[in-house]
Amino acid sequence: MADDRTVAELELFLAERADRLMRAAVLLTGGRDAGQDLLQAALERLIRHWPRLDGDPEAYLRRTLYNLAADGFRRQGRLRRKLLLLQAGTQPPADPINEVDLRDALVRIMLQLPSRQRAVLVLRYWEELTEAETAAVLGWPEGTVKSAASRGLRRLRELADGWHEPDAELVQTKLRGHEHEHRC
Amino acid sequence: MNTDVEELLRDGMERFTAEVRAPAGLARTAARLRRRRRTARAAVAGGTAAVTAAAVTVIVAAPGQTGGGAAQARTVAYVTSRVESALASQNMVYAARTQNSIGTSTIMWATWGYRSRGKIEEFAGSRWCTSRGACTHRGGSGLALADGTALVGGKLVSAYVTYYNREFSLTRLVPTAARACSTTAALELGGPSTVTSHWPAFIGATLRCGAATVTGHVRIDGVQTTKITGKPVTIRLPAGEARDIGEKWTTARWAVYVNSTTYLPVRMEGSSTTFGGRRPSSTSSSVTDVKWLPPTAANIAKTLVTIPAGFRQVSSPADQ
Repeated sequence: MADDRTVAELELFLAERADRLMRAAVLLTGGRDAGQDLLQAALERLIRHWPRLDGDPEAYLRRTLYNLAADGFRRQGRLRRKLLLLQAGTQPPADPINEVDLRDALVRIMLQLPSRQRAVLVLRYWEELTEAETAAVLGWPEGTVKSAASRGLRRLRELADGWHEPDAELVQTKLRGHEHEHRC
Repeated sequence: MNTDVEELLRDGMERFTAEVRAPAGLARTAARLRRRRRTARAAVAGGTAAVTAAAVTVIVAAPGQTGGGAAQARTVAYVTSRVESALASQNMVYAARTQNSIGTSTIMWATWGYRSRGKIEEFAGSRWCTSRGACTHRGGSGLALADGTALVGGKLVSAYVTYYNREFSLTRLVPTAARACSTTAALELGGPSTVTSHWPAFIGATLRCGAATVTGHVRIDGVQTTKITGKPVTIRLPAGEARDIGEKWTTARWAVYVNSTTYLPVRMEGSSTTFGGRRPSSTSSSVTDVKWLPPTAANIAKTLVTIPAGFRQVSSPADQ
């Protein structure tokens, strides 16, 4: 069956690429379950186009993954707002800056940025693409990529500027304690 | 410190995903889900429901949970197939109102759908603010936002209107239906808030793939209904949300009540309970009452987002 052949070819392709793509999906969504959903959705589209795909399948999959993530903020936003209401009437959450290493804090802040800014930051600083390459993946003008990256980085720099390096040993202890929690 | 932010972020992302591995069989699962979705679409398009085999899946998926053995399983299969058949062959305007309660706070949603058109309006029961500092102006029954399809120049586009700051954006139409057969779908059903023009197909697909059971018969607004209950789903919350609400896990539950004569859904109930953190456990509950209206021009018009005069256009919803 053509479908079976497609799946077999795709499995072969994923054998090398899946982990990296899954990590990108987790960064784009902030969680393992949501990341898996996102990757599945992108794969479904890839399967649809696989028989007549002209070009690099990884590039197509990556482009789909990031575009789905950039467009997926509305539903997530509503669920998120609903969850945020749960904190009504209780004290504000502890300041993450005092609890974790700056690198973890930066990732946590990044996960709260709008989807489009987050997609740009993941492409620029995790996939290590240039602004032009990022614009090509997302199908946006380069100026839009620049402004999204700039706004996202501004938020992260505000955090970094207010950061005071805690006692190194304390940080290591806390990181060990939080390590499991950070594995979404 | 500023010059190192990019490098620190890169390190942070590496560490955040260091233990992440893709599950096996991703392509096979994606192919299976795609086939399932294609079948559902074909059923909707053709007005038929090829559901018998899929309904049997429900029986297999929920052994021991139906409480009544083979007879109960046959009931589930029968009801599920009738619901799917009814959903596939209807040509009505879907109109629903959802009330979501969390403690003393409430959010109201109105959802409309017809074929490829759909709209959800959110009424801010409680004042809330975005991360950019814009807040709903008054709470109460104020319309906070509308999200869905709009007709611009004779073409359907995706529209997002925020009333609290009088802004709107138009973007290309992207299907935003929650994925059935996933934890995300169960979460959405736990508090129906999905913007989708394919609610009927979504409900049908979810009934097919979930471990659902027929749990009773209830009269709602004078209508005899059959209650179908989904298997609870528990997931670990994404890191950002977990920190925001001080909990680590959430469990979503849902139930659909269908008209015992027409088999069209008349009510959906959902709840999600968060737990496992430093805060006391909290539960959010929602009730969605559904009406199926004739496809008159007036009713179909209600499924589209309209842009109020004087609102400012921005480039994307991310800017609102």
